[in-house]
Amino acid sequence: MLHSLVAAAVGSSRVVRTAASALEIPGPPPTPRSAPSRPVVLRARREGMLPAQGPPDARKLADALGAAVARAAGEEDPTAGFRRLFRRSDVVGIKLNCIAGKGLSPHPEVAELLSGWLQAAGVPARNILLWDRTDRELAAAGFALRRGRDGVRVFGTEQDYDPKPREWGPNASSFPRFLSEDLTALINVGVLKDHDLAGVSLGMKNWYGAIHNPNKCHADGCSPYVAHLAAYPLIHDKLRLTVIDGITGQCHGGPGRSPRWAWPYQAFLVATDPVALEAVGAKVIDDRRKEVGLGTLADEKRAPRWLPEAAKLGIGEASLERIRVEDV
Amino acid sequence: MSGQDVGRREALRLLAGGCAACLAMAGGVLPASAQDRAGSGSLFPSVGENLAPRKARWWKKKESLKIECGLCPRHCVVADIERGTCGVRENRGGEYYTLVHSRPCTVHLDPVEKKPLFHVLPGAAALSLATVGCNFECRFCQNWEIAQARPEQIPSHALPPEDVASLARSNGAPLIACTYTEPVVWSEYVYDIAQAGRKAGVRTLIVSNGYIDEEPLRDLCGVLAAVKIDLKAFTEKFYKETCSGEMKPVLDTLRRLRKAGVWTEIVVLVIPTLNDGPEEIRSLARFVKNDLGPDVPLHFTAFHPDYRLMNLPSTPTATLERAHDIAAGEGLHFVYVGNVAGHRAESTYCPSCRKMLIRRVGYAVLENRLQAGKCPDCGVTIPGIWS
Repeated sequence: MLHSLVAAAVGSSRVVRTAASALEIPGPPPTPRSAPSRPVVLRARREGMLPAQGPPDARKLADALGAAVARAAGEEDPTAGFRRLFRRSDVVGIKLNCIAGKGLSPHPEVAELLSGWLQAAGVPARNILLWDRTDRELAAAGFALRRGRDGVRVFGTEQDYDPKPREWGPNASSFPRFLSEDLTALINVGVLKDHDLAGVSLGMKNWYGAIHNPNKCHADGCSPYVAHLAAYPLIHDKLRLTVIDGITGQCHGGPGRSPRWAWPYQAFLVATDPVALEAVGAKVIDDRRKEVGLGTLADEKRAPRWLPEAAKLGIGEASLERIRVEDV
Repeated sequence: MSGQDVGRREALRLLAGGCAACLAMAGGVLPASAQDRAGSGSLFPSVGENLAPRKARWWKKKESLKIECGLCPRHCVVADIERGTCGVRENRGGEYYTLVHSRPCTVHLDPVEKKPLFHVLPGAAALSLATVGCNFECRFCQNWEIAQARPEQIPSHALPPEDVASLARSNGAPLIACTYTEPVVWSEYVYDIAQAGRKAGVRTLIVSNGYIDEEPLRDLCGVLAAVKIDLKAFTEKFYKETCSGEMKPVLDTLRRLRKAGVWTEIVVLVIPTLNDGPEEIRSLARFVKNDLGPDVPLHFTAFHPDYRLMNLPSTPTATLERAHDIAAGEGLHFVYVGNVAGHRAESTYCPSCRKMLIRRVGYAVLENRLQAGKCPDCGVTIPGIWS
């Protein structure tokens, strides 16, 4: 396999893996300990996680995220959870959503925790990539870029896309070469925000940042584009976990940052079912909209129509009645 | 109509000569400093610097920092930090910016016949350039690597309009062609190039899908010398399903160009089974004749599989000839067959006496018998820009 992730960093096309991981026997993708009859979305809220000023409370953040990640995998602690969800031989991409800049992007602390648990679970640091579309957006959101030979790498796709577009549902796109050639597993880290066309931009819409032509996918409320992209095997077959950084939410005025409509939700939403998580997150946004006197997304004719489409494609559960929200 | 009237051997010989001319024209047209910037070396600007935001024209403010683009009939309503469908215009804090002004990703010297424009300074060189971006997504796009990309993804040159004009002059090109991608989405740059070109005595033309709103078109008509419109087909179904666009606004554009008196030629890329039906061709030809006039040149060119349309064969020459005959039969005076080098319908004939006036093979003009824009045999005026 051409290992462009490594190649991009050190100019080599060789895959570097640990001896231990090389001995692993390939098998079906890892899954949580017990697949529940109803999809579960974990909600981990901690009052005071985001103080009035300054960065998030590191202890509360780790406690909340750790509890949600562990429970999503059916384990007692996040390291055990990641051991269940990932192989040591995995090359893991953590897709961030930094387009809105600081204040409405995943916190670097969240990505740090996730990569730390991955390493504790046996994934070598060099096989972990934190990524978004561009270096510029990552840096603006507070991420320190890193392209070195060792350690967790942090960089934007920039111009490194597949040379040929791939057909996916209603469109065709080029994907990052490291996604198509190197990454074997994905964690999707989105934010909790409103989107003027798609309704919400949480986890599934975050995959727009993995294609070279998101501008061609915004017609008709982004439906069915969001659903088909999330269902595309290059993404869906590798996705192990979705994490929504809801320390701060924004119920209106998205996808850009609009402090007027932001509120301290102080929670994470975590799930292995990306559609269920999206349905729950959209309801959180709608509930907040009602609280502040706004009409619902449906009132504004921008309810996420791509959600039922995603359910039809069989990648998850969109009906709130059939989803269990568990507070941890 | 009968097929090639240039023998195969002769056509190959002429093509070889034509290609040599093209090669002599192609590449190396940028000044050394720009070549350095455009190369793969360290002098090329980083991706961050590659974006060159400049306030856009033709848009209006909406609520909540949104804007509505008024450049093309899509009228994209774009929220803060988002882009329009074209991918090259971005809302930044409630103001709309073009990201590609003065940032072409490709610059070449082409014969004007390559556009193709057959009634504009035959044999002249056109400094041809493009930025990235398009407001359509044609499944058969032949330049999709740049037309369907975003500015961050493709290296570009820093080339202000004045430099484009002087580059054309220094390379002996009397024309500047905004082409390859969709100039409509970089209209601000096109407009400024045309203005700079005028000052330098160089005329500007565009090769476009014609999907543009009335106001920006009116502004462009004031500075452009000629326009070539790709009329993709003559059904809304084709425009919707194959191009993600609409046909009616394109027809409106053609009528407006006619009214504005801007020299216009039309190209139809004929795709087997999708837009090659005789009745569709007939309707198209009737539209051209009735709404635009019989003197508007109409080119039928051959498709080859590309981008997302790889499952269809290249267009048979016979299909192009059938389209040619239908259009000529409807009374159009200048109907051409393209992408079939050596075909007799690459040449221009007098609509009155039927004598050959301009003999072409491929992009090469072998003979031009026009005298002050008239047929030397019968004296009929041939429409076009000849000097």
